[in-house]
Amino acid sequence: MEEKEKQIGQTPTRRIDFKISRFKPGLIDPPRFQTYSVEVNAAMTVLDCLEQIRLTLDPGLVYRHSCHHSACGTCACIVNGSERLACLTRVWDLESRTVILEPLRGFARIADLAVDMTGFYRDIQAEWEVLRPAEPLAGGGDGGGALRLENCIECGACVSVCPAAAAQPGFMGPAALAAVHNQMQKAHADERAALLARAAAPDGAPMCERALACSRVCPTGVYPARHIADLRRLM
Amino acid sequence: MEHVLIIGGGVGGALAHDLALRGFRVTLVEKGELLSGTTGRHHGLLHSGARYVLHDTAAARECWEENQILRRIAPQAIEPNGGLFVAVDEEDLSFRERFLSSCRDADIPAREIPVAQALALVPALNPEVKAALRVPDAAMDAWRLALPFFATARANGAVIRPYCEVTALVLKGNTVAGARIVDHRTGRSEEIGADLVVNAGGPWAGRIAALAGVQVPVQPAPGVMVSVAGRLSQMVVNRLHPAGEGDIIVPQRRLSILGTTAWLADDPDRVTAPTEHVRRLFDLCAQLLPAVRTMPPHAVWSASRPLLLSGQSRDPFAISRTFDCFDHARRDRVEGLVTLIGGKATTLRAMAEKSADLICRKTGRDSVCRTRETVLLPYRRYWP
Repeated sequence: MEEKEKQIGQTPTRRIDFKISRFKPGLIDPPRFQTYSVEVNAAMTVLDCLEQIRLTLDPGLVYRHSCHHSACGTCACIVNGSERLACLTRVWDLESRTVILEPLRGFARIADLAVDMTGFYRDIQAEWEVLRPAEPLAGGGDGGGALRLENCIECGACVSVCPAAAAQPGFMGPAALAAVHNQMQKAHADERAALLARAAAPDGAPMCERALACSRVCPTGVYPARHIADLRRLM
Repeated sequence: MEHVLIIGGGVGGALAHDLALRGFRVTLVEKGELLSGTTGRHHGLLHSGARYVLHDTAAARECWEENQILRRIAPQAIEPNGGLFVAVDEEDLSFRERFLSSCRDADIPAREIPVAQALALVPALNPEVKAALRVPDAAMDAWRLALPFFATARANGAVIRPYCEVTALVLKGNTVAGARIVDHRTGRSEEIGADLVVNAGGPWAGRIAALAGVQVPVQPAPGVMVSVAGRLSQMVVNRLHPAGEGDIIVPQRRLSILGTTAWLADDPDRVTAPTEHVRRLFDLCAQLLPAVRTMPPHAVWSASRPLLLSGQSRDPFAISRTFDCFDHARRDRVEGLVTLIGGKATTLRAMAEKSADLICRKTGRDSVCRTRETVLLPYRRYWP
């Protein structure tokens, strides 16, 4: 970044322009970009800046957030063209004086950066297990029967970036296919067959274009494309 | 039935669920995303209560009761792998007997295990620890533990409205008769009439109360948390010491979360995470699991606790984590307004039960709480 750092107290900051896609049905409609300028230090994330904009510049800015550490999956949005979690994206790491924020694609838009996740769950059963056996720890010992939460935080980044989902709205999408495959590992044999049949349906794995973009943007290392490849081998 | 308007989408979700089960008409408004204030933003410990036994038996006992209830009614997002309290130095060791006897007093099943066994359970544990006690802590996904309350409340008829911020309370004489809100989704303002308004604003409760001209004893107490990439333990690891800074590491998925610091603030909207706090967390938590020292931070964040001021203490770790519910008719001669203060995520259901009991007494309704035994819908059902 070329701009000189400015010193505020002990912490150097840089002035960054956040160009945010605004939309409020009936009010800011059609959507348009609005720019907010924020002094950003090295530690601040895109989510920290959204909070600052809301608290100091525009209380009406709508975005989703909850845990601030990549567990809840609510804050995914498109940052300078790429799907990312706002809470994990340090602004300085973007190496850009302007940060463009847009909502995820492929979901109904509520307002500004907030999207409605209803569609995300269309092909994911509410009852499917969120827990899985934990891996053995480094330094010895087995998992000892320990359980942990699945890697997928259901943020929607993979669905937003998927070219097949964009072209064919009926496509189950990468997150649901990965969820099917994960559920198969935990299910009884008869349920496994039904799950595989679901994944093999015309709106399932056959619609995947193997673009691998899902695995590239996934913030928690689910690698949905690998799950889809595994499902294909079983079909 | 009466229409109850709940302000605050944190613990308010549990109250919406409880009141909906009791037959009330319920509307909940939250200024941002649900669970974006405090209840969704903590380190993810489902307390066994052991953290509080040394100074607050009532809070400790309540945590253990609620821990068991949540495992039954919302099991989906709990990593049920237990916890350890470890003594790092001689001072820690001096608390051992009192800790164990206090756990017995609070009915929390705690027992000492040999250090060698603790090291086998948690190979990353500081090999120098002098004692290890096993407790029924668990780890949770804060969002997915609390969202089932909203999902179930909504399925039972409650209206849940995120992104709706209260700008004024509607006062008719000395009675709060509803709230004026701005719906940030459309920018439009509207008035929501209610027979009773519940202020469940957490650390923001003081601001809501001020809209009715009353004060409430809430003290925002922010704290910093840090996550590192790597699951260092299956169990929660705590320091055997009265509650203090940097005394816990909570595993979750493939992360480990270091908690926490605390200070008293006037403004609950503090979004800062001072770098010296981050450094202290690494230093202190490395005494529990030394591997932490060389790990880069994965995420750094802060959240404001809503502490209930009752005694004189200004030490944020000593102020009780218990909870109270105020009827402003008795306290301030303002009718139609109830405020919830204090508590913590582990006890959200109990906070809701006590508040709903008060609301039933106030409205002359004779209906019993059913949230202890009502298994909640899976969180994914929040999206219809």
